[in-house]
Amino acid sequence: MEVLRIEGLSKIFGSGRLEVRALEDIHLSVSPGDLVALLGPSGSGKTTMLLCTSLILEPTQGQITFDGETIFKKNGWAGGVDIRRIRREKMGFIFQSHNLIPFLSARQNVLFPLSLVGAKGEAAQNRVMELLDYMEIRDRADYLPALLSGGERQRVAIARALANNPKLILADEPTASLDTVRGRKVMELLKKIAKENQSAVIVVTHDVRMIEGFDRVYQLKDGRLNQEDLV
Amino acid sequence: MDLAIYDLKLHKGRFIATIIGVGLLFTIVLAMNGLYRGNIYEGLAVINATNPDLWVVERFRGGPFNEQSTMPEYYHYSVKAVPGVEQASPFIYYTVERQTGDQSRHFSIIGYDIFGGLGGPQKIHAGRGIQQAHYEMVAHPKLGMRLGDKVPLGLHTYTVVGLTKEAVDTNGDPLVYLSLPDAQEVLYLKDNEELRNQRTRLTRSLALQGSLTSPAAERLAPALQPDTHIINAILVRLKPGANRAEVARHIEDWLYFSSYTTGEETQLMLKGRLAGMTKQLLLFRTLLMIISVVIVSLVIYTFTMEKIRSIAVMKLIGAPNLVIVRLVMEQSMLLTVSAFLFGLILIHNTYHLFPKTILLASGDDLITFIVAVLGGILASILGLWQALKTQPAMALGGQ
Repeated sequence: MEVLRIEGLSKIFGSGRLEVRALEDIHLSVSPGDLVALLGPSGSGKTTMLLCTSLILEPTQGQITFDGETIFKKNGWAGGVDIRRIRREKMGFIFQSHNLIPFLSARQNVLFPLSLVGAKGEAAQNRVMELLDYMEIRDRADYLPALLSGGERQRVAIARALANNPKLILADEPTASLDTVRGRKVMELLKKIAKENQSAVIVVTHDVRMIEGFDRVYQLKDGRLNQEDLV
Repeated sequence: MDLAIYDLKLHKGRFIATIIGVGLLFTIVLAMNGLYRGNIYEGLAVINATNPDLWVVERFRGGPFNEQSTMPEYYHYSVKAVPGVEQASPFIYYTVERQTGDQSRHFSIIGYDIFGGLGGPQKIHAGRGIQQAHYEMVAHPKLGMRLGDKVPLGLHTYTVVGLTKEAVDTNGDPLVYLSLPDAQEVLYLKDNEELRNQRTRLTRSLALQGSLTSPAAERLAPALQPDTHIINAILVRLKPGANRAEVARHIEDWLYFSSYTTGEETQLMLKGRLAGMTKQLLLFRTLLMIISVVIVSLVIYTFTMEKIRSIAVMKLIGAPNLVIVRLVMEQSMLLTVSAFLFGLILIHNTYHLFPKTILLASGDDLITFIVAVLGGILASILGLWQALKTQPAMALGGQ
């Protein structure tokens, strides 16, 4: 079953002469284990696409189906859907700048999304250490983000995104703040996660060097998604 | 997961500095509560310690503490003759600034009939009461005097025969008890040179009248010197079963004095001299509480703004508003409660160092704590409003 299905999605800001069509007639379908890249220059609508996909920004029209549940239909959120719960339980986010919570240690940053779904005690701690192990930063578990290197921070951020075994991971320019070597390592990790965890991964980037090995690559231009598979 | 604590651990220097700053403000608020209580206690101490059935003072005067009241000493015989009066004692009260030892001291003197009259110290803490007609005194230990000390007042030296702790004057200054004639002498005694000048002026005025020869004027002058047998009030004890209101009415109608019960005298003080101070202290306390709330509010707002991106991230990964509200509110409460406890501990360990009496009451502490907590909640509103309106999109670089 598809994790995410987007059909005829549009987002229009303003009206009349000030109207801006940020997204127009977007169709996208992502299945478990898919590794999808969205490429596009600045102003192409990448961030708007990400905001709509992460259910933060309400589209103008279209339909979004997530994990078999219709979330947005025609021109409004579907009734009875707890969007924050979906983000909490079924989505993971990786940001351009790691966006770790600065007053929490690496361990606590990974524990935070687990605590939001009620996981606690030894089971939660074990899960955290398992993820930090997986990211090869177990020895940095009790360090505050300020004491970690850029690459370590991004790995902690990926561990946090994976904490609740999300069905969909949305990554916004995850390599932008890293050098090429570390950037490639992060991309390798994302590929590994998609295959091993069967999580769908959508990466928004403008760096074509980083998308090697992706299942599908789409290009966004002036709010339109080029559906031609570039791979 | 207690986010507020983790955040404060990271900023503990600023958190502690704020606690000390706001805590000192709370110390002042609590000290003012105590000062208010102390002010009332001191203002009423001499009234309560004296506690006659009636205070008789000059007509239409609110004396002897609120307003000057003067009357000839012998009037107490007239009051004694009123039906229902068992005892009527002359009473004098005034404030002086005198040199005792190396220091200039501000204190009040009470003169009373030491031979069984009313108005003397109720309880002697050390030594004994005044037994001789002259040159003995009972003093408050605040004056730094010890039993047997010799204290010069005017022309004479007085021996401290007793110490009493129970009363201070209405300004909180210590009291000294003297026999009535001694108290009158200390109050009215003039310098010899001034007495001679006064007598010369009077003799000259009398001689100028033309009806007296100069030697006759000289002979008459001493008899016309101002009377020093003046008192401020007459203290009355009623006979058992006597009707207080009737006795008071009789004194007012027939002797042309004003009379007050101790309750009325207390009210005169509370509504008169103490009312202004009470309002003043209330205003100060209100201002300080507002300042505390503003400071906590600004600190919490700053704390919140510093982690606004983290709040956006929390929202993006699905944290409910309750988690955000708890983070901001808990910090505000921790700051307020810690500052209050700091202030409470500080004032309970330093109140005795204040020159004025500070009476700390647990009820006042509790009310201040409740006001502080409400202030803390109020202080967090600005930070909460900012946190709740933060868009999760901020974490992705949008909005």
